[in-house]
Amino acid sequence: MRGTKSGRLRTLIASGSAALAVVVGLTACGSSSSSSSSSSSSSSSSATTPAPAPAASGPGVGKPAVTIGDKNFAEENILGALYAQALEAKGYNVTLKDNVGSSEIIYKALTSGQIDMYPEYTGVLLSAVAGQTKNPSSASAAAQEAKAFVEKHGITLLETTPFYDSNALATLPAYAQEHSLASIADLKPLGSGLKLGGPPEFATRDEGLKGLVREYGVKPTFVPIAIELSYKALESGQVNVQNVFSTDGQLLSGKFKILTDPKHVFGYQNVAPVLKKSVLAAEGPAFEQTLNRVSSLLTLKAIQQMNAAVSIDKQSATSVAQQFLKANGLG
Amino acid sequence: MAAAAGSIVASVVAAGEPVIPNYGAQSSSCVVHNHLFCTDWVSHNWGPVLWPALRGHILLALVAVGIGFVISLALALAAYRYGCLERPTTVITTILYTIPSLALFELLVAPVGPNVYSAEIALVSYTLLILFRNILTGLRGVPAEVLEAAEGMGMSRRQALVRVELPLALPAIVAGLRIAVVTIIALATIVYTIYNAGLGVPIHTALGEGPFKTELIAAGGLAILLALTADALLVLVQRLLTPWTRARAT
Repeated sequence: MRGTKSGRLRTLIASGSAALAVVVGLTACGSSSSSSSSSSSSSSSSATTPAPAPAASGPGVGKPAVTIGDKNFAEENILGALYAQALEAKGYNVTLKDNVGSSEIIYKALTSGQIDMYPEYTGVLLSAVAGQTKNPSSASAAAQEAKAFVEKHGITLLETTPFYDSNALATLPAYAQEHSLASIADLKPLGSGLKLGGPPEFATRDEGLKGLVREYGVKPTFVPIAIELSYKALESGQVNVQNVFSTDGQLLSGKFKILTDPKHVFGYQNVAPVLKKSVLAAEGPAFEQTLNRVSSLLTLKAIQQMNAAVSIDKQSATSVAQQFLKANGLG
Repeated sequence: MAAAAGSIVASVVAAGEPVIPNYGAQSSSCVVHNHLFCTDWVSHNWGPVLWPALRGHILLALVAVGIGFVISLALALAAYRYGCLERPTTVITTILYTIPSLALFELLVAPVGPNVYSAEIALVSYTLLILFRNILTGLRGVPAEVLEAAEGMGMSRRQALVRVELPLALPAIVAGLRIAVVTIIALATIVYTIYNAGLGVPIHTALGEGPFKTELIAAGGLAILLALTADALLVLVQRLLTPWTRARAT
């Protein structure tokens, strides 16, 4: 798929003939230092999984080729690599397209047939794609409602992961101890003296500050903080409590404490592969079993470790996924 | 021993708890502690990350400016010949130019899809106003007496255009190309939102959760260097193509 894309790019180039000489010069002077063959390979993982060559035998041999997409952030790149490599190990012919785009864009790519499958968060599917505003009552309700929505469009949802990646509120353990904080409800007595940080949109979202105010009666002073500066803002004391994501690798360090959300304002964001029913039927039962097996292994701890390896240690999603699958007998 | 360990692993897996590999100690401490610039990361990731992104960026920009130039040249020649076309062309290209880039990329996804075509359509549309105006200005700037001389020498309109007017318009045309190229190289860093290509991909990854300084500096620096290099190349091209301007200057 990437091959044809870059091929098209080159065809386009040919029509812009004035530029061609420069292209040739540029490509030639750098190609000696490069081992990559594609013009559009992503930073987080290469085109398809390099190391485990498609198994010569297995239930997937001879089945139609499948294209898996993922969204443009580390956790999605890891999920995409995990599902793709696990299927390849079973003999399926898989192409992985990294960084397709946001939920709205990648869902469109799925319905228009540019990809056959991608990992999606159940809550995001409900809010961003289905346009639902009401919070589901449980994780399984979220999955069922999401499934009911997509099935109207010939698409289905496989089993969800044990981990969920939702908004969360983090604080420093010292601050939590000082004010005896365990759950978000404990923030209420702090009133407006509490400085709560988060990306600007957190203030207006139902699964954000709006919901917290309604459900817990908190009245913090909101401080807009860019996502990538979340942990810095907490450590520097710029904020007392900060909106983070439950699967962030940084949470493994023990330097931060997550406040529980007993009223589930932050919703349910477990992940499941989303794919066309026709693809599922064509690939057979072993396809579904393999994907469900991978999902079942993805606990909060597992995804946090893998996120840390990619986001903090800057390892490639491809190799992180490969090691995980190998350690769990799926590589 | 190994078999025993294997069966323990298997039973743990069966219980639903995954085995998590030890990912630590696979990266340098410079990377893990996010120091200002880790040359080891750059050298490891030049092949798999930075070079493909840079090459993709160059292709995106060249295709956009190339196609944009062809369209703009045709539009400018038409407006030069038929003056009534200038206003509508200016209006349309100005409107295209004012559409917020991030919105245009996402708007194109619905009809075209999240692919290279959407990316190029958006980028090309941003070159049109710059190139059209500069080419037309260049052509209009050719002195009337020069045209009369060409006519007097027995040149046809077409010959005069190719041999006199376009060469004399070159400095203005190249000036437009320089602005277009630098603009498109900067703009192409947000193509990543709809298509997995260009230096925007590592820049976005670097911002991720970190932000990871080395990748940000390396990818951002490459984008700046690319723009400066392209600009310098165009200056060079203009000098080579218009030797008479230098002769006049000296």
